[in-house]
Amino acid sequence: MNIKTQKIVGQVIFLLLTFYLDGLMKWAFLNNMNTGDFMILPQIMLMAVVLITMRIDDRRQILAYGIIFGLFYDSYYYGIIGLYTVLLPLIMVGIDHFKFLFVKSNMGYELSIYFLALTFLQSGVYVLERLLQQTSTNIFDFITYVLGPTLLWNMVVFFILYIPFANFSDWLAKYRRESK
Amino acid sequence: MQKFFSNKKLIILMVILIVTFGLLAVTVNIRDNKDTPPVVQQVGNDVVSVVGGVFAYPTNAVKNASSEFSDLYNTYTENKHLKARIDELAQNQAKLKVVQDENKKLKQELKLDGTLTDYTTVNASVLSRSPSSWQSYLTINRGSSSGLKKNMPVMSGKGLIGRIIEVDKISSKVELISTNNELNDKFASEILDDNSNAVTGVVSRYDSASGKLVMENVNSTKGIKKGQRIITSGLGGRTPRGLYIGKVYGIKKDNYGMTNSVYITPAAELRNFTVVTVIKSSVSGEE
Repeated sequence: MNIKTQKIVGQVIFLLLTFYLDGLMKWAFLNNMNTGDFMILPQIMLMAVVLITMRIDDRRQILAYGIIFGLFYDSYYYGIIGLYTVLLPLIMVGIDHFKFLFVKSNMGYELSIYFLALTFLQSGVYVLERLLQQTSTNIFDFITYVLGPTLLWNMVVFFILYIPFANFSDWLAKYRRESK
Repeated sequence: MQKFFSNKKLIILMVILIVTFGLLAVTVNIRDNKDTPPVVQQVGNDVVSVVGGVFAYPTNAVKNASSEFSDLYNTYTENKHLKARIDELAQNQAKLKVVQDENKKLKQELKLDGTLTDYTTVNASVLSRSPSSWQSYLTINRGSSSGLKKNMPVMSGKGLIGRIIEVDKISSKVELISTNNELNDKFASEILDDNSNAVTGVVSRYDSASGKLVMENVNSTKGIKKGQRIITSGLGGRTPRGLYIGKVYGIKKDNYGMTNSVYITPAAELRNFTVVTVIKSSVSGEE
């Protein structure tokens, strides 16, 4: 196995781990079914996706990751295919398209990109589900009870997980570690 | 034509739109109308769930340990309370045994094979919960190979928690009773009161503001009191009779004062459980 395949396997395992982490987080800590209106959705996989996309330059590889993990996410968690399968690759290609603007990525940039990606993703899922009558929540309830708490919670988690995740994805994406 | 197809970005956008809505429409249709998803999706979900089990078991262990820890605080008062109930329980158990035997004999006499109260159970452990706001699904580690079918009711230790919505080979998805979905999770139910007049209705909604289930289409509100128990009625054919849902919290008229809704405190504490029980009804409704 050459070094490139090794790195790709590493990236896939990293994304898979965060994929399961989303479901387990929701199940173990955010399992509010009886109480409270607020709905917090852990989106740690999106965090990993953003960090990986910022560091990989191959557009095809990015697209493949987006479609495959989007399919997994839809089939396993949503039972409807077409939400993450489409939105995730769109976000990744979007990030890839505009990342030349950032000469050197730092936490502030990546935080704001993650924030935008999360807002886009959640709103996209809401709009599509609303169109297909999977939900009857109105837009203001969505912003107050779903989008707001989700953004807040994920921002806090981003601060906690940024340093290990960023270093790990640095290591996963670069073939040779550059001196800082 | 040459000019139209030369704009690559427009074409890509169009294809993306078509693919999105096509996929969504097809999968929603399959979920609503077919018993199982396509084989490819089944196999995919099964593989993902098997690998997910590796992470789910330690999580469930931690969850169990933490709930045991909080139980420890309540032990003393709970013990006192339970001791008061235990004599009553023994007597009830003996009575239940006698009545069950009698019931069995009477059924044999009448040559009744299965009635609405007959069911068998399958235990399953929970692998994860969907990180999604409108599909509140649990993934469990039993599927069609254990005899599960779509629309079977699911209970946790204390009461009803939902219904199976998707069955794969060795895993399935449970839609929780607290989902605010217009199409699914309606349970024909009735209120157990001391008199013999049965109050029936449909548990059809979840009021997320108060955390109560709402029973609608109630035929009369006479004699409904706070604290009365609500069970599934078995009408409709998909759910057996006698599954415990919760207790009456109060009655509310709708905005126009036309119909009454009964608010129910759900029995199942939908937090601290890692194992669920799937109910397989012996009497099958019409397909």
